[in-house]
This record gives sequence, structure tokens and C-alpha cells, in this order.
Amino acid sequence: MKIAFLSLVTTFAAALSLQAQTTLRIRGSDTLGAKLVPQLAETFKKQGGKVSFDIAAEGSSTAFTNLASGTAEIGMSSRKVKADERTLCRSKGVSLTEFEVAWDMITVVVNKNNPVSDLSKKQLLQIFAGDIKDWSEVGGTPGPISLYTRNTSSGTYKDFIGLAMKGREYGKNSQKMAGNEQIAAEVGSNPNGIGYVGYAYSGAKGIKIVSIAGSSPNPAAVKSYPLSRPTFLYTNGEPTGTTKAFIDFCLSSAGDAIVSKAGFVPLSIAK
Amino acid sequence: MNSSPQPSRPPLRSVLLRSRKRTILGFDPQTLIKYFFGSNASVAIIVLVLIMVFLLREGIDFLPTYQRELQTYRRAGLEFCDIIDQPLQRNQALSSSLRQAVSASLETLSKSARDRRDAAFLLKRQVEDKTARPRESLTQALEKTPPAAEQIEVMRRELREASASAAKALSYPAFFSAAEREQLQREFAALTPEAADLPPLLQTLVAEFSAKDREARTKFAPLVQAQEEFEEATEPLQEVVDQIKAKALETKEKAVEFAVLETNRQRLLEAAATETDAKEKASLTKEAQESVSEAVNLEESIKEITGRTAELREQVEKYAVVIEKAAAVLPKDAGTGAARSLVNEVREDIPLHAREMRAAAATLEDWRWDKPVSIFSVIGAFFFGTQWITNSSWQDFFGFVPLLAGSLVIAAIAIVIATPVSVVAAIYTNQFASEREKEIIKPVIEFIQAIPSVVLGFIGISLVGNLIKDVSEWSWLQWVPGFPIQERLNMFNAGCLLAFMAVPTMFSLSEDALNNVPRAYIDASDALGATKLQTVFRVIVPAGISGILSAILLGLGRVVGETMVVLLVAGNRIAIPDFSSGIGVIFHPAHTLTGIIAQELGEVSRGSSHWQALFMVGIVLFAISLLVNWCARAVARRFEPHKA
Repeated sequence: MKIAFLSLVTTFAAALSLQAQTTLRIRGSDTLGAKLVPQLAETFKKQGGKVSFDIAAEGSSTAFTNLASGTAEIGMSSRKVKADERTLCRSKGVSLTEFEVAWDMITVVVNKNNPVSDLSKKQLLQIFAGDIKDWSEVGGTPGPISLYTRNTSSGTYKDFIGLAMKGREYGKNSQKMAGNEQIAAEVGSNPNGIGYVGYAYSGAKGIKIVSIAGSSPNPAAVKSYPLSRPTFLYTNGEPTGTTKAFIDFCLSSAGDAIVSKAGFVPLSIAK
Repeated sequence: MNSSPQPSRPPLRSVLLRSRKRTILGFDPQTLIKYFFGSNASVAIIVLVLIMVFLLREGIDFLPTYQRELQTYRRAGLEFCDIIDQPLQRNQALSSSLRQAVSASLETLSKSARDRRDAAFLLKRQVEDKTARPRESLTQALEKTPPAAEQIEVMRRELREASASAAKALSYPAFFSAAEREQLQREFAALTPEAADLPPLLQTLVAEFSAKDREARTKFAPLVQAQEEFEEATEPLQEVVDQIKAKALETKEKAVEFAVLETNRQRLLEAAATETDAKEKASLTKEAQESVSEAVNLEESIKEITGRTAELREQVEKYAVVIEKAAAVLPKDAGTGAARSLVNEVREDIPLHAREMRAAAATLEDWRWDKPVSIFSVIGAFFFGTQWITNSSWQDFFGFVPLLAGSLVIAAIAIVIATPVSVVAAIYTNQFASEREKEIIKPVIEFIQAIPSVVLGFIGISLVGNLIKDVSEWSWLQWVPGFPIQERLNMFNAGCLLAFMAVPTMFSLSEDALNNVPRAYIDASDALGATKLQTVFRVIVPAGISGILSAILLGLGRVVGETMVVLLVAGNRIAIPDFSSGIGVIFHPAHTLTGIIAQELGEVSRGSSHWQALFMVGIVLFAISLLVNWCARAVARRFEPHKA
């Protein structure tokens, strides 16, 4: 009797897990989740993966909260997992496995009509920390600088502090936008705007890329660009089944092609 | 006619009485129905109480948590660093003014050269943008090995043609002479992807500018030098501060890590206790055992920090002397009027800044690392704090004032716009409109309520923002304070949309209030020979004023609680609006109480101080809404006209 009951339960659980495997829930970074991962998912489906995707991108932190609560199979993050997030997951019985998928370059953008086309590292820091308040201080047309940053849930927000600002805070005049698209739209419409976006978004209308200390974001020289960083996918334990198939696909050469098409730098070039 | 009674049918009364005799579970149906209705009404009250309990449960721990954090902030010595570091920020602001003065002065000589250079680069860029496609295919073809010579030739011709037509189509600014225009056009037409050097004329323009710039720098040498000296003056002091800061941060991180590991250990042990799988249980327990670290000796590390007080004070004194000297030699002359006034401002501000730094340095001696942080100072830090800094690598601060200020200013704008519109519309509809007009006006205004606020938010971003920005650039409107505006996402934009959202509520309630004015008042007024307008303004509106006021208050409640529109449109700048710019402040961006919850709650980890702070904001928001609603009711009761 007991055995029968147990086997019933296991069959039921297996059926449930099968059910869950047909939908891959992916949560996390907006940088990855807005373009790259949906494109990878689309191609993966076309290749015959019998799976449906459920992707939501609201910032890297959400990757770990979702993985911990079991509401996602894969987490996308534009930064490495923090120690406290790892232990939070662990205490819920989730051990994170990390996959580097691509490199991204944080691209500093200004309005197309802004004559400034290069900033030193120090100037960049001073602008985003709110020390430099006027474009005339960096050789531009006089006018107060409008500063657009991502919001605090974004991995890019935190990465930028580490990469460009030596741990200082953003200036009080900064405006926190929900995503890359919004920053691009505001900078594109405001001649005194400056902001940063993932490299994939740097081609948006009305904006132009500013080089940092003479170095422009360039996929071939990703490691020498001061604002480049790796991006990650996280899973619960060693991936299995469809999750594994999808991750393997992301890291394959077919995946690399999509990665570079989406404006990221594939590992094969970055390495 | 047969009028005999029909005894076979019982009278209605007895039927009703008979049904009462039936009972369900010992209750008769009438009581049950009464309880059913009553329970439905009480569900609303219960839910409200549950919401309050939930908010309080999550939020009330905020004060002790924040107290602990501020305690760590003090004990690890971060507060000590901020005593000097905060006033030192002023140096950056003054430097910024000086840099602007320098650049404005230099511009007097170099502006035309710079404009010419920048314009030429802009034109080049336009040509390149227009010819992006042939350029790219040519670049790709050139990279191929072996290069297909014929194909490349074709592509080159295509690019040349495209460049030539693009260069021709450009509108060249007037400060290029005819010969220059021709040369530019020629050079742009000949742009190729492999040329690394700039075209000759562009090179000349660049050289022209640098020559002019050099000339300007020698002319304003004293100013340039003073600016550089002033900026460099902070370096030795900053270096010492940075060293102490690094030490303090290290201590804090260790202390925080210890606390985190400790709670993690508890968590893991708890998880292990409930785990049924033996293997998993063993691994969790093992992990818990590993998650131990040594407690930090705060007293030792703080000694290292306070031990440098004398050095720090000495550096501050040196810094103050240097900048005072710099203020004395700051030249009176600058290139333009604006630059002169900037320099004068800086000259006046430097002694103040020096005094502030000295005063700050003097308080260092009295600073005690082990002074406890009282709960009142924590409450003060939340309700009167002017900084909302989260996800910081230095210290998180949860100050409520910037968010409250944003919410209040936006609500005020919305009410100022919505009140006249909705009240006047209500008076018209109630008193002057024909039945047919009423049939159109009322449903249309009430329909506004059906528009989802996220849709309004998109309208705000894509339409209202651009509209306000364009209007603000009209030359005959420049007398309006704050024009031309810089940000299209600002408080005024959000206020307009919220006003639009509040109009239906305010209109309907005002209209009801006017409807409730007793007929006898109007008849009496008519009988006294008053005109329609006199009746409306002397009798009906005063009699209905309580309803109108409470309508406005309820509209305010709606506006304060609205989230989506302000999140999308208000611009999300977490700073107290700069009221020094007068009424123009309404065109600045701001963040709001509702917006911050929507933006940040999704990402914080449950139970952290940030999470609790957001719940605290929620509690305050809830209290504000309750207060506004209570006021509306009180007003309605206070002025209630005596029904005739």
C-alpha cells in the first residue's frame, strides 16, 4: 500500500517536473533579457526545441530572488552573484551554477548634436558623481548636464559604480530610468543629456557614443575598453533536460552568432 | 357574479408566517440573511485591518534595523569620515563654477574657431550617417581575403556617389566661406573607410581651434591658474580622507559580513532542521558549520582611525589656508559678465567653505565611536533625512524628505489644475446645461476614469513631454519662469496627467454636492428676484461648498496615491526639488513616495533594511491617504447645510 502510494507520488512529481520543463522561466537582467536572451530563445525554438519561454527582465537582482523561490529555471545577471544572494539561495536549497555567456560593454552616450566625443576617466567620474554640472566644463556647448542612470535593481547601475566611479555615489542630479531603452530615448531627446546603455543599444536614434580616454567600445578589443564586463546565466544546480539543452545552445557557435548579432561580444572573441 | 370566497387558498399572511417557522442549523433564514449581508460589509473592514497589520508587521522592524545600521555606520568610523568628506564636497561645486567661468572666458576668443570645428565634424558625421550602408559593405569587402578587386571598385564608386550627393545636400552654416564650403563638400565626397587621417580642412580647423585656445589660455592665465590651484588644493587632504575611508569601509564590511554569516548560519540550520532528506540535511548542517567568521574588534580598528585625527586636522588647516590664498589671488577680471559673477560668487564662498571645514575639523575631537544611536535620532533620520541612497557601496541612507517633497509638489500642481476645471464644469453641468448637454458631458468626463494609468503614462512620455518642451522653447514665452525647460519628464508633466485623472472624481462629487443643495434655497433666491448668476454664486455654491471641498480632498487622495504615471513621467530624480529657482521648480524632475515603492520593491531581498524602509514609506503613504479621507469627511460634516 505504502509503495503504491509512493510510486503514485513520484509519478505525479515526475509529471509535474515534465510539465515544468516544457516552459523555461527566465528572470533577471534587463540588459540580457530585453534583446539577447529572447533572440536566443526564438532561435532555439526554431531549431526544434519543444519548449516555450517565459522571460521577464527587471534587473539582475530579480534573477536570484526568483531562483531562490523556485519561480525561475534560469537567472540572467549582468554581474556576478553577491555572497549574500548565494547564501539566500542556498538556504532555500538552491545551489547556483554560473555560466558566462557573453561580454557587454557599457557604452556612454550623449545626444547626437553634442560636440563632446571623448571624455577622460576622471571627467566621466566627475560627471556621474555630479561634480561637473555644465557641459562647458568638458569643452561642450554651455548648458546644465542632464544625467540618466539605470535604477538600483540593475546590475549595470552597480557595475558602473565599480568600473567608472571608484565606488562613489551617483550625483544627486541623476535620474533613474527603468531600462536601456528609456535612457536612450531621453538622451536622444535632450541635447544636454548623458547616460549609459548596454552596447547593444548604442545604435538608438538621436544618440552617439562617447569614447572613454580615447578608447571606443569595439568588440575586437573588448578587454581593453575600460567599461566592459562579463554577463552570466545562473541555474539551480547542474542544469538538466531542456535547461541544459538551452544553456548548451547559448554557448555553442550558433549561440555566439546570435550573441554578436544582438550587440554583445561572444566568449570566443572575448577570450 | 359569483363572489364566494376561496377558502382552499391560504391567505398571504399565513404563507409568510409559515415560512418563518423553517430553520437552518437552528437559525431562521431571515437571521441568516441578515448575517450574510452584515458579513459582506465587514469583509471590507477586515481587509482594511489586515492591510494595516501587514504593513505594520513588515515595516515596524525598520526602525530597529536602521538603528543597527546607523550604529555600524558610527562604530566602523564611516560617520567620522563623513564629518570631513561631506563639507569637502563643496569644493567640487566651487571648482565646477570656476571651470565654467574659465570656459566662458576662453570662449570669448575661441568660440568661433570651436564652432567652426564642431560644425565641420557634425557635417562629416551627417555624411557618414547617410552613407553608412555602402560604407559598411565596402569595409566588409576590403576585409575579405582575397579581396575581390572588381567588386570593390563598384562599391567604391557607389560610396563616392552616395557621399557626393550627401555632401551636396548638407546645409553649411554661414560662417564657412564659399571656398571653404566647396572644399568641405569635396573632402566629404572623397571620404573612404580606410583613410585614418582627417581631411586637410578639418585638420586646419582643429589646429585653428587649438591655437585660439592656447592664445585664450595665455590671456586669462591668472584665472586658469587659480582654477587649477584651487582644484589641486584638495588633493593632499582628499588622500588622507580616502585612506581613512578605506579603513572604515573595510571594518564595516567585515562587521556586516559577520552579521550576514551569522544570520545565514541560523537560516541554514533552520533549513536543515526541516529538511527530510538525510544527505541534503548533512550538507546543509556542514555548510552552516562552515559559515562562521570571527567577530571584528571594532575598538581596535576605530583606534587606527581616530589616531589620525591630528593629521587630518592639520591637513584641513593647510587646505583652508591654501584655498583662502587662492581666493585672494582670484583675478577680478574674467571674459564675460556671467563668468565674472561666477568668479565673484566663488570668491565670496571660499572663506565660508574654509570656515565650514575648520568647524567640521574641530568637531572631530568630540566624536565618540561608542555613543549609542538613539531611536529618536533614527526616527529623525527617516522622517527628516534629506538623502535617499540605496544599493550604495558606502552607506545606505533612507531619508524621506526628497520623496515626500516630490509627491507633494506634484499633488499640488495636479490639484491647482484640476480644481478650477472640475468645479467649473460641475457648476455648468448642474446649473446651466440643457438635458441634452448633460447627457453628453457627464458620461464623457466619467469615461476618463476608465483610461488605464499606464496608458496615460505613455501619453505623458511620448506626447505631453515633447509638447511642453516644444512650447517652452517658443521665444515669446520666455518670461515664464523655468522656460526653456531641460527635461521633458518633470513634475509639471506628471501633475498635468494626474490632474486629468483626478477630474472625474472631483467633477462627479462636486456635481453631487450641488445637486444636494435644497430646492427651497433656489426657489427662495428666485423669489427674491435674483438673477441666475447671483443664485449660483451667492446661494448654490456657498451651500454646496462643503461637498466641493471634500471633492477636492478626495481628488487629492487619488493624486497622492497614483503610481504608474508618476513612475513613468516624473523623471525619477531623488533629490529635494530646488525651490530656490522659484516657481520654475515645477519643471524639474522628482521622485515620489509611490514611485519609489514601485521601482525598488521588486528587487530588494525580503526582510532587508531597504525592504523595510519601503514598507515604512508605504505606511506613511497609507496614513496620508487616511488623513486626507478623514479630512474630506470632516469637512463634509462641518459645513453640512441644514436640510430645509
